[in-house]
Amino acid sequence: MSLELQLLLLAWGTLVGLDLVSVPQMMIARPLVAGPIAGAMLGDVGTGLQLGVLFELFQYDILPMGATRYPEYGPATVAAVSAAHAAAGTLGLGLGALVGLITGMAGGLSLHALRQLNTRAVRRAAAALESGDARVLERLHVASILRDAVRAAVVTALGLVLALVARTYLAGALPPHGVALLNVAAVGAALAAGAVGTLRLVGRGPSLRWFAAGVVGGTVVACLR
Amino acid sequence: MSPSPRPTRARPKLVRTLLRLFTVQGSWNYERMQGIGVGVAEEPLLRDLRAEGGSDGVAYRTAVARGAHFFNAHPYLCGLAVGAAARAEHDGVPPEQVERLRTALCGPLGSLGDRLVWAGWLPFTSALALIGVALGLGLPAILGFIVVYNVGHVALRWWALRAGWTYGAGVAQALREPLLQRATALSGPAMALVVGAALPLVAQYLSSALVGWARLALAGVVAGGFALLWWQRARLTGLRLGLALLALAALAGWLWP
Repeated sequence: MSLELQLLLLAWGTLVGLDLVSVPQMMIARPLVAGPIAGAMLGDVGTGLQLGVLFELFQYDILPMGATRYPEYGPATVAAVSAAHAAAGTLGLGLGALVGLITGMAGGLSLHALRQLNTRAVRRAAAALESGDARVLERLHVASILRDAVRAAVVTALGLVLALVARTYLAGALPPHGVALLNVAAVGAALAAGAVGTLRLVGRGPSLRWFAAGVVGGTVVACLR
Repeated sequence: MSPSPRPTRARPKLVRTLLRLFTVQGSWNYERMQGIGVGVAEEPLLRDLRAEGGSDGVAYRTAVARGAHFFNAHPYLCGLAVGAAARAEHDGVPPEQVERLRTALCGPLGSLGDRLVWAGWLPFTSALALIGVALGLGLPAILGFIVVYNVGHVALRWWALRAGWTYGAGVAQALREPLLQRATALSGPAMALVVGAALPLVAQYLSSALVGWARLALAGVVAGGFALLWWQRARLTGLRLGLALLALAALAGWLWP
């Protein structure tokens, strides 16, 4: 993969990471968007769509509320697509999922670290903030957004390095049935996480019946295809 | 919404505030949470106060300081608190009442936004896109998701800001609007139906490359993973389950003769 493509993925991963919390929260951070666009950059929309769908299911396991800690699957999906694209025909989904999940975990940890850095910056500026200094307020805000951009870039870069390592050392190391097992594990975990996450949202109220109706309808359509 | 006199040239300031609201969580921290972002968004609406508080702008500066205090709610609905607090400052509401208004809005706006967006509109539109991809629509399904989701997203942000600015300290009225109540009531069942339909289709889409024994193994992994996640929800997450299963699969694949 060329350096230009890697830099393009790094830029996309940074935008995706910024979108998650800081700006503008228009959901390009959703794996379903981050993956296919990364795939399109690599000329492999199919792999991008598959990994986008896979990580979107993992995303259903997360409710991004308040101070909760959660993995960051946007830049993770970009890294996953990079890993799976380079290993096309050998490891595919399984290798992408492995790289993506590790990157997602690192992304979650980095968000916690960023929030701690922001907290320290706010404490340092407390006196100016209490005096109503609008310039300090704005500077503090912009600095935090820039910090998040650096964080997102670092997480994406880490993911892309992981992808490089994975395709260099893992691609070809597993026999075909090992590859199939890896794919089964990735898809199985994603479907289980997606189903459980959705049921937690749905709860035991009247929406449960609508969920059951949807599952039946979806199954019928899947069988008819 | 009840018509009442507003500070002059409000619309350009509302637009500026709306743009700043897109960054409201940019300085999220454990001390003031969204407070700094809310203060930054509110500041353009407070500039009229510079003239009212004397040459040193005391009214403006104290209002800016209050605006940056602790706040936490759903990011798309922060505009309601921003507009209401700014309007209350213009209306001469006592400072302690403005603080109480902000504090009182955190819970309802957080809860409403979580139900309406995080547990409603977002999974609903995302599941529609998943269905589209599973049925072979490809990239147009993704682009459709981005457009449709953001029409609702931007409309909600704009409504919230305008409602807050219009009602001021009486902003609780805005939360009782029939359209909002109906949207909240409908979002849960609609999300459940569409995500329910998406799951089997996505399962078929992702397993299409698997053959024979691998499909049987997949059914077992999904059932086992589901049970583990459901009964161990306090300790186990999708991420941990995924990493554990991938590690097991890699080991098994390595050892398999």
